[in-house]
Amino acid sequence: MTQSISFTFNGSAIECEEGQSIAAALIAVDERNLRSTRFGNEPRSIFCGIGICFDCVVAVNGVANQRSCLIEAQEGMKVESAL
Amino acid sequence: MSNPDAIVIGAGIVGASCALSLTNAGLNVLVIDRGAVSSGTTGAGEGNILVSDKDPGPELTLALHSRNLWFEMQDDVGDSFELEAKGGVVVARRDDAPLMKLATEQSHHGVTIEKCNQVRLHELEPYLHPDISSGVFYPQDAQCQPMLAAAHVIRAVVQRGGAFISQAKVTRICVENGAVTGMETSRGTFNAPIIVNATGTWAGELAQLAGSHLPIAPRKGFILVTEPTKKYIFHKVYDSDYVANVASSDADLQTSTVVEGTRSGTILIGASRERVGFDGSMNYEILRTLAAQATSLFPVLREVALLRAYRGFRPYAPDHLPVIGEDANVKGLWHSAGHEGAGIGLAPGSAALITDAILGRESFMDGSAFSPQRFATVRV
Amino acid sequence: MIGAGPAGLAAAEAASRNGTEVALLDASSRMGGQYWRHRTRVTGYRSERGDTLFAKVLAADSVTYISEATVWSAQRDGDLIRVNYLQGGSESSLIAEKVILATGAYDRTLPFPGWDQPGSMTPGAAQSLLKGQGVLAGKRIIVAGTGPFLLPVATGFAEAGAEIVGLFDANSPLRWALSPKALLENISKFAELLYYAQLLRKHSITPRFGRAVTAFNDGVATISRINPNFAIKEDGSESVQVDVVAVGWGFVPDVSLGGILGCSQRVDSDGTVIFDVDKNQQSSQPHIWIVGEATGIGGADLSLIEGEIAGLAASGQKIEKSHLLERIRKQRFADALKRTYPVRDGWRNWISPSTIICRCEEVTSQEIRDSVSELGAEDSRTSKLFTRAGMGLCQGRMCSRNVSEIVSGITQCAVVDGERIAASNRPTAAPISLGQLADGKNSL
Repeated sequence: MTQSISFTFNGSAIECEEGQSIAAALIAVDERNLRSTRFGNEPRSIFCGIGICFDCVVAVNGVANQRSCLIEAQEGMKVESAL
Repeated sequence: MSNPDAIVIGAGIVGASCALSLTNAGLNVLVIDRGAVSSGTTGAGEGNILVSDKDPGPELTLALHSRNLWFEMQDDVGDSFELEAKGGVVVARRDDAPLMKLATEQSHHGVTIEKCNQVRLHELEPYLHPDISSGVFYPQDAQCQPMLAAAHVIRAVVQRGGAFISQAKVTRICVENGAVTGMETSRGTFNAPIIVNATGTWAGELAQLAGSHLPIAPRKGFILVTEPTKKYIFHKVYDSDYVANVASSDADLQTSTVVEGTRSGTILIGASRERVGFDGSMNYEILRTLAAQATSLFPVLREVALLRAYRGFRPYAPDHLPVIGEDANVKGLWHSAGHEGAGIGLAPGSAALITDAILGRESFMDGSAFSPQRFATVRV
Repeated sequence: MIGAGPAGLAAAEAASRNGTEVALLDASSRMGGQYWRHRTRVTGYRSERGDTLFAKVLAADSVTYISEATVWSAQRDGDLIRVNYLQGGSESSLIAEKVILATGAYDRTLPFPGWDQPGSMTPGAAQSLLKGQGVLAGKRIIVAGTGPFLLPVATGFAEAGAEIVGLFDANSPLRWALSPKALLENISKFAELLYYAQLLRKHSITPRFGRAVTAFNDGVATISRINPNFAIKEDGSESVQVDVVAVGWGFVPDVSLGGILGCSQRVDSDGTVIFDVDKNQQSSQPHIWIVGEATGIGGADLSLIEGEIAGLAASGQKIEKSHLLERIRKQRFADALKRTYPVRDGWRNWISPSTIICRCEEVTSQEIRDSVSELGAEDSRTSKLFTRAGMGLCQGRMCSRNVSEIVSGITQCAVVDGERIAASNRPTAAPISLGQLADGKNSL
């Protein structure tokens, strides 16, 4: 039985299974828009899923441009679309 | 255009500015390059347009005028190359006396300065390391995107009746009775009584094709580019070691700290200077040194990622002054080269000097300090 | 040993047979790379191959498995090679006599209007979410593009309860007839095909060929019939509402690390940049071997045998004739894959002026066009200097080939090999923070 953990995304609480990536956890609860682009303000979501395209980047605990498809969600993590 | 009034060799920022200046003066100008626009050092430039790093003297005079010409060029060609009078902040990490002395002298020669204490420094640059307490603000320093600038300027030249031929390598410069008559290239033969050598780091090679001589050599530099970030850097910021480095002839690696933001949100970090010929290989130790220096000025950058690093070869003359003027031996062959790390800033000013000299009219300054004649006696 | 996908695992296992000390580095927290991506256990066709190899490698005394280690650069250190990697937020390095690179590949993508919208992704992303995370990317899914990889993706989704609204391959399977020898030599592949055919039937999925997703907007996918050159046929497109379009066009190897080490590269028949290796998988640089997709996209079977050969060669063990014959068979199959599933340049007509080409820097097709027609860019390098295409976070991995081919379409000059190679290389293989970079000075 995997543990449930909780983190925040743009202030909202998100629950997921231990070991899931931030992106997977967000998509699992239908939070598909991970960020907006810096020039056109267009929504982006997971694209390559393996850390190559950098479309899924979010700010994690104050550090920008982190690939949410690669980073495992941790209890209490603060995830934001932008700093 | 096989019989232009003038041929400019080199479609980097120096060549482009020359071509525009000559075109605006009424000449039919052909620009050629062995590659494409900005394929030389301009393509590796940061876009610096500085007055802050120049000692009073001819280069500072040139830099001040050239800086203003940049804004005129923007009015002329259009706001298409991110030109911004963002200003420069030079910080003194240790003893600030040399910096303050230089600033005072510069202020007597047309440079606007503002000496800053700790409070003012941190107002200008809130993310600067708290221990840095002394510096000078130079509001006249500016920045542009140099590749776009060269491209838009060349475009304006073509729109005004000039021409541009890329992928044309000069194989011979034809000289008759001590004067140029034209050139042979991989894309045809072109005749003109005026040839401008704006080939930067390769200007010496080009001069040889005309049977002349220019002692221009490469000085390698790396630039780090970070990921796009929230705005942490508001001006071009560098430490006062930069000034000493530029004037040094030391062959060894020299590094100084230079940090600035760009419109796209990335941060550019320099600067290194080495005389290793044209060896373009990557050097991780230099990247580490540049990163260490930049993060010591701006600790917040520790969390910012390196995106890429690239290198370029600055063209320099033995006395570290640009070479602007008519060749010592060959009439009609004009040089605008050897601008070292200041090529972008000095480009329109150099173009004005050359245009005035070619047209035989008085210029905004006496450019004899830059004359290629100064190398005339050094023939072995 | 860099990379713990099929090739790297095979190499590590082979090298360990005579007790050679192997450090196996991988960026992920689990072995298997992309091909055997899993959460708890590998699933899918012949998944036991993965489990068996994991067990062997973990049991081998002379193998040290270093997970969550991202190699960002490498450099020669006299006769040795220093490999610099990030782990747990700080930098470390290893010094080795020999290095085997098995860094794998990523999905090749083509732009189309709306490909940048949420819901549009690669088959690899859909697969990684499902197999690696246990998350379905959506409920109504279209899988499209070309290549056999679409089959495990579509059937995997279906088995997990998603509705496969469509499975579209631009190329027809009749193209396999172009490679009869490869099929005969690789009869086992028929079993694999049957495995997927049964699953398709079970879930009532009918693959359709000569079709592609040519637009996606607010959840509506446009599927067009295309001719063999990938140009859209006039006889109508269909539109359908979906949550996800998972579109992939084969694979691209990441050659950054080998390039940093100076290993010589060339352009493969499918336009990908790969490394030159000899019969022992050794690169042009002494003591560096390269295996897997980076020597030519060819799938897991080829990766496994290449890995084994390199592992044996690097550890001074004998390579049997059977190994070489196996590699020949698998290489022929890899060639057949390229022949059967080409990507033709008619895709350039799918894009509109506002279609984003460089996703990171949001550069549109029109801007690239203008850089050529207005500013005189003649190749992708110059176009990039003017538009910033390829200068973003992914450093051109997604877009550089497409930018080259769009520029080529406008200038009517073919993309030269040197341009493809230059665009595929970069001075760092992974991001490193300035703080990490600075701290490594003099301390490594």
